[in-house]
Amino acid sequence: MTRENIGAMDAAKVLNVIGLTKSYGGLTAVDDVSFEVFEGEILALVGDNGAGKSTLVKALAGAQPPDGGRIEVNGELRQLNSPRDASEAGIGCLHQGLGLVDTLNVPENVFLGRELLTRLLLVIPQLDHRQMRERTIELLAGFGISLPRLNDPVIRLSGGQRQTVAISRLLLQDVRLVVMDEPMAALGVEEGRRVLDLVRTMRDRGISVIIISHNLEHVFQLADRIAIMKNGRLIGVVNAAATTRDEVVRLITFGAATQSEAHIEI
Amino acid sequence: MKSEANSAPGIGHADRRWLFEGIGLTVVIVALAILFILINPRFGTIANFINILTQASFIIVMAVGMTFVITSAGIDLSVGSAVAFITVVAFGLIKGGLNPLLGVVLMFGLGAFLGFLTGSLVAYVKIPPFIATLGMMAGLRGLALVHSAGEMHFGLPVSITFVGQGVLGGVPVPVIISLAAAVFGAWLFNRTRFGLHVRAIGGNREAARLAGVPVNRVEVMVYVLMGLFTALGGLIMMARIDSTQATIGTAMEIHVISAVIIGGTSLFGGRGTVYGSVMGALLLAMMTNALIIAGVDFFWQLVVMGGIVLIAVAISNLREQRIPALAHFMRREPPGSADNEPAREPAQQQGGTLS
Repeated sequence: MTRENIGAMDAAKVLNVIGLTKSYGGLTAVDDVSFEVFEGEILALVGDNGAGKSTLVKALAGAQPPDGGRIEVNGELRQLNSPRDASEAGIGCLHQGLGLVDTLNVPENVFLGRELLTRLLLVIPQLDHRQMRERTIELLAGFGISLPRLNDPVIRLSGGQRQTVAISRLLLQDVRLVVMDEPMAALGVEEGRRVLDLVRTMRDRGISVIIISHNLEHVFQLADRIAIMKNGRLIGVVNAAATTRDEVVRLITFGAATQSEAHIEI
Repeated sequence: MKSEANSAPGIGHADRRWLFEGIGLTVVIVALAILFILINPRFGTIANFINILTQASFIIVMAVGMTFVITSAGIDLSVGSAVAFITVVAFGLIKGGLNPLLGVVLMFGLGAFLGFLTGSLVAYVKIPPFIATLGMMAGLRGLALVHSAGEMHFGLPVSITFVGQGVLGGVPVPVIISLAAAVFGAWLFNRTRFGLHVRAIGGNREAARLAGVPVNRVEVMVYVLMGLFTALGGLIMMARIDSTQATIGTAMEIHVISAVIIGGTSLFGGRGTVYGSVMGALLLAMMTNALIIAGVDFFWQLVVMGGIVLIAVAISNLREQRIPALAHFMRREPPGSADNEPAREPAQQQGGTLS
């Protein structure tokens, strides 16, 4: 089947996760989780600590392959056994540490691992610093951002600027889905707002986003749908516009079957 | 050297502060030179300056290689022993009738092989560089002694001694070679994918791996490169004094590592400059030369060098704000608050250091 056929049949579904399971020893961190993500959608993943959010995201990023279940990207079944696999499938991951090399400058970070080369004296390959710099400026301009000091080591940039660099890196890889684990954690109010804008910009370009956040205010500002996890299970996916904060908090705390589960917890 | 640093467009990191670092060291060297000349005019002769450059040549060559090693967050303590081993083996064979050119090829082959061995121990067997190269240091010295204990070799063919003693257009050949090695090293460091990968794995190995950098392969290549530069340094040294022995190059690693550290390359990895290493080697050679002219005992020269190295590392830590008590006073303006400033354009990108 050609890609066009698949596209025609199932145009909007970027990610389809079916029965994903991951255990550590006796602990089932992610238990039979199924959900889907559509093109240009922001899906927020919420839940208490230990609910399995990070494990799920790591499976999608290829950092920790699942024990069972299927992951389909754009209708194709994918084995995500390494970050490389995920990247080739079109899934980009924004780690908590952002995966930047502090001592390298902005274009070097953006292009690390996929450097642009030119030829010295027509034969000897060398880095095309100028081209990488110009492409970086373009990528940043796409977000309406221009960093004043592209040649500084990124350790000297602010948290939000570093986020921008990390996201530019992903855009360069032509991703269809970006997975973000707590991107607003440890950022100031202003910086956090900038990252929200970045996420929206990605969405507007048709890139889907899965975002983990503890901040329900951010979740409601951003997300189209909210997926709630508890004890490794996905207990519900709700439409952000059709629910309330209290309802989401209730789901996070007590789970779907309020009476019985609450009872067990006590 | 200085004009080179300022006029090489695009070469280098184009980070103004790093440029100042290179210039800072250059200024120190010039100031010291003036001081030495004032103390003793004999220091200031052209002949003496050429002498200093020649003395520094093999340290410069090896310091270029060591810049890659230290920037990758490694260290190589075995360079002195490797020089001894490589030169006694090659010397013996050349004296035994081996074609001098083949002898030189053999030296580089040996250097690359030893580097491959060290690099594999570090990258694949996961032995910390300090320990892996400490082992190589002892082992190679032992092998050199086994090969020719107590023997002193003399009498190389002119084709080889030319490398150490020849003069082209008034400039000694070792000086030309070391300059060429430095320019090549700076290009490799700043302008090639390999150089970028070396800086990346030294800065954040895990991030580099996630970005698709073949970290283990790059690490092995770093030590292979070091081995090649070690062979070149050994060749210059052997050709210059037209002799070698199993004890040659003792404590040479201290000189080489010192030159790199003085030059501003971070011992913590990720940050380095080839230009700085060259300047560091020159500073050390100049100090040694001045102390000799002043009639200072060799043992005191070691004491002075040790002091310079410790001061250089202390200054570097201060600059990187690694000393908690002083970091407060060194803090620069807080970053951020400038996301939407218009980007200042290439004017600032050009004219980086040759580093």
